[in-house]
Amino acid sequence: MPKHIASGLKYLAAVKLKDAGKSHQVIADELGVDRSTISHYLNGRNLSWNSIDVARTIVELCPRDFLKMTEAIFEEPEQSRKIVNICRESNFEVIIEDSCIGCGLCVSACPMKTIKLESLTAHADSIQCCGCQLCSDECPTNSIKILEIEYD
Amino acid sequence: MIRNLKEVKDNNFDITRSADEVRKLSFNDHVCLGCGICESTCPVEAITLNEIAIDSRNRLSNDIYFSGHEKIAQNFHDDFDVQRVTVNESKCVLCGMCSGLCPVDALVLTIDGVPIREIDAYPHYNAFSEIDDDECVYCKRCEVACPRDAIVIERVLPDRADLVTGEINVDDDECIYCGVCEELCPAEAIVVDKETGKESIVIDKDKCVYCLVCKKSCPTNAIKAICRACNYGEYDLDPSKAVVKGNSVIDSELCVFCGWCEGVCPTDAAKHKKPFKGSIEVDQDKCQACGACVDICGCNALAFPVSSGPGSRLDHIIAYDDYCVRCKACAKACPNDAITVKRTEIDHTPTNSATWTDALNAIKD
Repeated sequence: MPKHIASGLKYLAAVKLKDAGKSHQVIADELGVDRSTISHYLNGRNLSWNSIDVARTIVELCPRDFLKMTEAIFEEPEQSRKIVNICRESNFEVIIEDSCIGCGLCVSACPMKTIKLESLTAHADSIQCCGCQLCSDECPTNSIKILEIEYD
Repeated sequence: MIRNLKEVKDNNFDITRSADEVRKLSFNDHVCLGCGICESTCPVEAITLNEIAIDSRNRLSNDIYFSGHEKIAQNFHDDFDVQRVTVNESKCVLCGMCSGLCPVDALVLTIDGVPIREIDAYPHYNAFSEIDDDECVYCKRCEVACPRDAIVIERVLPDRADLVTGEINVDDDECIYCGVCEELCPAEAIVVDKETGKESIVIDKDKCVYCLVCKKSCPTNAIKAICRACNYGEYDLDPSKAVVKGNSVIDSELCVFCGWCEGVCPTDAAKHKKPFKGSIEVDQDKCQACGACVDICGCNALAFPVSSGPGSRLDHIIAYDDYCVRCKACAKACPNDAITVKRTEIDHTPTNSATWTDALNAIKD
């Protein structure tokens, strides 16, 4: 079953990339699958609608649950990061306040590898943020604020 | 949840967090001054300073009060089994602030094996101690004075024979071949043949020690000799002329930058710079001369006055301002609040972090 859900998530990712105007070959390279499989996905073949439904439900979970589920389904952290980044429904902004002491807990906590330490302060690349807030949970000084970006 | 692992060994411990990077905080009790800077600056309140100074005062007998013992503190730490500092590993986030602000190397944070004092992003005190080998005469005065036993001076003594140099000659016209010099020579370096017609005198320069006994005993002043060793005249502290060579090592882990080495150095070889500038004062009205400060001071900057004889009461404490590193351990230990230590200036490398700058300012008076 997990394999089917993984395929479902890949399907959703492929559709999103297609909507973004990517060619089949680019999508195939991005997701690490055959070009023919992508073609099948995008032509609605070889995949049960059930898997897609489950995958869609997972994507619509709160960001942390979506991340945790995806991590559980994909064995490769690199791959689950890719899927989360493509499929997540919102964008986030990470604000790190001056009270940061540079302990590096957030760097280790962030599954998306969004945060890096530079000159004793954490710096986040908001584009990568999945909104799971694992970092702000770890932060001993509550210096991390994650804001969801709303588009009007 | 990222957890820390604590490993305790004797009075030292390591706290490790292994995630993307391996962070390890090591505490070395024998290096710790007990100043409490770590306790007051820890952003997560994970550090507790143990008040062993107070216990130590209770352990001291009156004998010590009267005898003017000098290295009580060291002996006391050898047989006392409480760490000066406790770090709660479940609270510690291994940020390294305690390590960065520790004036000595008692708390050391390493990130992937690299101590933070070697990482530029972290602020460091501009403190140092060094011995210039070109100036050093290897007298070992600093080694004796160092309160932390941080200095090791190894000296290489020249061969004694190499130092025995001089000149010796016999004026054959003056010599009467009496043989007095031969009989007196302690080194058996002179052979005199007294047989008429074959008279001769031979001085073996390899054996001669230039003691000048022959010159002084010669009835006709036929022997001209000079000793180069004693010709140096008075004791000369020019390091370039010193015959003793060696090398000096300061254990940077143990050194507290107190400056005793520079204070006692007869040449300009030992140099130091303290992390803090400030002052220390003992209020003699409040001081009960209990000795708690003398115990805790890691720099021997506080002492009982030299005893003026058996039975003389050591009723006050002397503070050596020059040798105080302004760590404030004594002020914390003093039960009568008689000691005032001020840190007026902190010399450290810059940091971009606001919290670290605040923490550094917070330890300034």
